[in-house]
Amino acid sequence: MSAQTILFFNNLFAILTLVVLVAAVGLVVYRLVKGPDAAALLDGKAIWLAWVVALVATVGSLMYSEWFHFVPCRLCWFQRIAMYPLAIILLVGAIRREAVVKFYAMPIALIGLAVSIYHNVVQFYPSLEGGSCDPLNPCSARSIEMFGFMDLPFMAGAAFIVIAVLLAFYTKVKE
Amino acid sequence: MTQTKKPKPGTKDAKSKSTLWWIIGGVLGLGLIVALAASIATEPEVDETVGFGDPTVEGNPLPVYASGTQDVAVGLPAPTVTGADWEGNPVAIEADGTSKIVLFLAHWCPHCQAEVPRVQDWVDAGNLPDDVELISVATSTDRSRPNWPPQDWLVEEGWTSPVIMDDQIGTVAGNFGMAGTPFYVVLDGENNNLGRVSGEIGTEGLDALVALAQSGTG
Repeated sequence: MSAQTILFFNNLFAILTLVVLVAAVGLVVYRLVKGPDAAALLDGKAIWLAWVVALVATVGSLMYSEWFHFVPCRLCWFQRIAMYPLAIILLVGAIRREAVVKFYAMPIALIGLAVSIYHNVVQFYPSLEGGSCDPLNPCSARSIEMFGFMDLPFMAGAAFIVIAVLLAFYTKVKE
Repeated sequence: MTQTKKPKPGTKDAKSKSTLWWIIGGVLGLGLIVALAASIATEPEVDETVGFGDPTVEGNPLPVYASGTQDVAVGLPAPTVTGADWEGNPVAIEADGTSKIVLFLAHWCPHCQAEVPRVQDWVDAGNLPDDVELISVATSTDRSRPNWPPQDWLVEEGWTSPVIMDDQIGTVAGNFGMAGTPFYVVLDGENNNLGRVSGEIGTEGLDALVALAQSGTG
């Protein structure tokens, strides 16, 4: 795998992360301004968008480990455990048009987000995970560094945030 | 006169139209993002061997150090290492009569990044006695990780101790039983292991390692 290819995907995922974060902030602001009527903005599409985010995050994480050979650390695995089922649950919920899916998906997204936040904190304060680096894949070390601050757990955290926001926007689809 | 009928909001027609616009918008947006990512993904060709050396190791390896426990390898002879720094200047870990503190560092390790300036300040303050030598080994080098290559980082930190560049498979680190970085090994003048410790130890720890090196007994 050439460094150029990895750099391209690092850039791609980093830009996507910023875009979806801005979109999530926009949605939250819209909700605050519009009130409960804001859900009509996305209607049934919110669940599909949440699924796309989960799918891209899942495929992305598999690309990094299986194609680029980045070894996932312990905390990365916990985030994967949260993200991978979302790619399935949200798809089933979207196809079946079930509003109840958000009650299953939201806790998973929030748990994943909590792990991502902790992982980001560990990268800023490595002593939280001990005094030395595992020579292979310590949680405290950054795998990549985009725009001077963004690593894979930051991207995962952004994906969990966006999924949670979109789920909050998802209401029962009226036929 | 023919008039185009606008679909009523909320009807099936209106919904499929809106979905179509969402898909078109998504594809266009993604296309823009891909184009932007491709345009900034330019990196000059680099020599993939940068950051690695070709050290020679002789002798039996030390067993892997178990963090947080008494070092079981105290008293065992450490392997002899003949290597070089990034400029090709020879550096050796051998039985030359001088006690040594060998420090293994990984450029991407945040603990090493915190420890290096601390150690350098300690050396600059004259705390390293003449009868003890500090040698570092740049190991676990990984081109795809941040803060690469290790020599740029060490130069930036004003690192003054001799450095051995480990090879791609971490031969030197493996032969000293490294379990994590930073990793310290204290050797007597006969190249016997007096003790090993992994992790950030700070200046107090460095003073203790010097005392250990000077005592000559583990």
